[in-house]
Amino acid sequence: MATQNHPGAEDEGSGRAAERPEPSTGRPDRPDPSDDAPDLEDVYGRLDRVDDPELDRSIVELGYVERVAVDGGRVEVAFVLPTAWCSPAFAWMMATGIRDEVGSLPAVEAVRVDLRDHMHGEEINHGVNEGLAFDEAFDDADSGIEAVREKLDEKARLARQFHAFDALLDAGLTPAQVADLRLEDVDPAFEADRAAVPLREGAVTVTLPAEPLTDYLEKARATGLVSGEADRLFADRDGEPFDAEAFEEVRRQSRVADANVTGQGAICSALHEARNGVVADD
Amino acid sequence: MYTHDGEEIFVIDGHVHLWDATEENIKHEGGEQFIQCFHDYHTAFTPEEEQWDMDTYRKYGKERMMNDLFRDGYVDMGIFQPTYLTDFYDEGFNTTEQNAELAEEYPERFVLNGAFDPRDGEEGLEYLEELDETYDLQGVKLYTAEWRGDSKGWRLDSPEAFEYLEKCQELGIKNIHPHKGPTIRPLNRDAFDVADVDDAATSFPELNFVVEHVGFPRLDDFTHIAAQETNVYGGLAVAAPFAQNRPRKFADMMGELLFWVGEDNLLFGSDYALWEPDWLIPAVMNAEMSPEQRAEFGTELSTDIKKKIMGENAARLYDIDIEEKKAQFRDDAVSERYGLGENYEAAAD
Repeated sequence: MATQNHPGAEDEGSGRAAERPEPSTGRPDRPDPSDDAPDLEDVYGRLDRVDDPELDRSIVELGYVERVAVDGGRVEVAFVLPTAWCSPAFAWMMATGIRDEVGSLPAVEAVRVDLRDHMHGEEINHGVNEGLAFDEAFDDADSGIEAVREKLDEKARLARQFHAFDALLDAGLTPAQVADLRLEDVDPAFEADRAAVPLREGAVTVTLPAEPLTDYLEKARATGLVSGEADRLFADRDGEPFDAEAFEEVRRQSRVADANVTGQGAICSALHEARNGVVADD
Repeated sequence: MYTHDGEEIFVIDGHVHLWDATEENIKHEGGEQFIQCFHDYHTAFTPEEEQWDMDTYRKYGKERMMNDLFRDGYVDMGIFQPTYLTDFYDEGFNTTEQNAELAEEYPERFVLNGAFDPRDGEEGLEYLEELDETYDLQGVKLYTAEWRGDSKGWRLDSPEAFEYLEKCQELGIKNIHPHKGPTIRPLNRDAFDVADVDDAATSFPELNFVVEHVGFPRLDDFTHIAAQETNVYGGLAVAAPFAQNRPRKFADMMGELLFWVGEDNLLFGSDYALWEPDWLIPAVMNAEMSPEQRAEFGTELSTDIKKKIMGENAARLYDIDIEEKKAQFRDDAVSERYGLGENYEAAAD
């Protein structure tokens, strides 16, 4: 049983034995900064990579992370969601995301995830901390979590596509040019914060803010839509390429996907404030 | 009645409840978490000075409801949408019978909707027939994510559900209100589908499907379906409070809904007592689009459109003759009680 006095003492979950000598002085029991303990900043950096899959924003940005405790190589992360009823599937994705991202830090030996104030907190915490599969943790899950993740990734892709379209049209591209863009046609890292798109066989190069494009590419890759250089960047809600004529329709589909994500985001943020007293960035 | 820009607007609140979430009525922890969640939704959007404490919120009773809707709330008629949740609440959260207590006292002011659950098999079909005989139903509220024993949900396009929809058609129950809310169960991809509504709507063109709170968090899937099916409608509860807190976002949502679903297929609802019409209706009525939004969506939040959303569309679905009702309300029990008769005196045109 882990006790308060012994840093690195045996953990009930991982069974690791103490690896460091007890402090010999009467000083307070804290990780020595010269040890290989992870930096709090590094931990938050990893947590920032974990998204609420439905709202397509980081759990740090959303204010879900309630507490991070670092004890030698062990990190405990407590998080809370806007309601006690938030989808167990989404909560699972966030919990495993926390475990895996923080766990990937070199100085981290073990991660303990604690979802608080949730109808299924127990099953989720147990399942994630024990490394179970989703359908092992939940009796009524008839499949793994992947199909859910794919569905949400695709919604996020469409929502981000709306902003990518906006940036490209603003920069002066025509709908036809946007519809035809392939991965090899864009340079997302042309300059600091600027992407570049050569047009008319390189006669003209147009630049635009990089962020909407890199954000979009992240999801386009995650959904498998874009992998090879010759792949078309954009697709309609069925994952199909489209021509100039259909561009406006696809733009509107993307627009309403964005409205869904941001609308739900607004509902969740209002609930998070009401229930948990957290006012996050909107 | 609500006066806006010199126009008199007849208000049908498409979504009201008379619930009991007292501790005595709760038989499963889910029931406690459910009402706490409702209260969070309430406080999340309600102006601070109008917020209710938890005790009142659990059971506010008939008198409070009457005052909130008719005396203070501009509402002319309300549609009761039951939510059973008998796995969580002994007597139910607000069943048809619980709502009937008030609906039958003022039948000219309330529409009482029933409910069904296809998992109830033959017994359920009989219950539906009985409900219809007792209350002459014109609509039902369906909660496809409701727990029932081991089952944590059902689909509107299942053979069992279709049997019930056929029965509805037979009995003249024209309006089907599926609640498609935040996803809890099932735990797989299906929870994120509103495709079952699509199938049902296509298979039953004579029935009207009012997807409550416009399918959030699947607004995009809902609008895609509604754009194609003329018998699919959107209930605005949950979207409406944005008019108070996030007017720009509200205008965006309305833009999307008007674009895809259309001004004839949207119904206002307060989801009382989640939110109260006294502050909600003025917020919605005062909502406006920016010039950019008007250009993007090719429409605006005109008074005509608001009139449709606030009452005319619901009236069409529920065979309510607004002019007839106005005449009736000049001196009905509710008007007598609250001194509202004058509001209905304006020339009927």
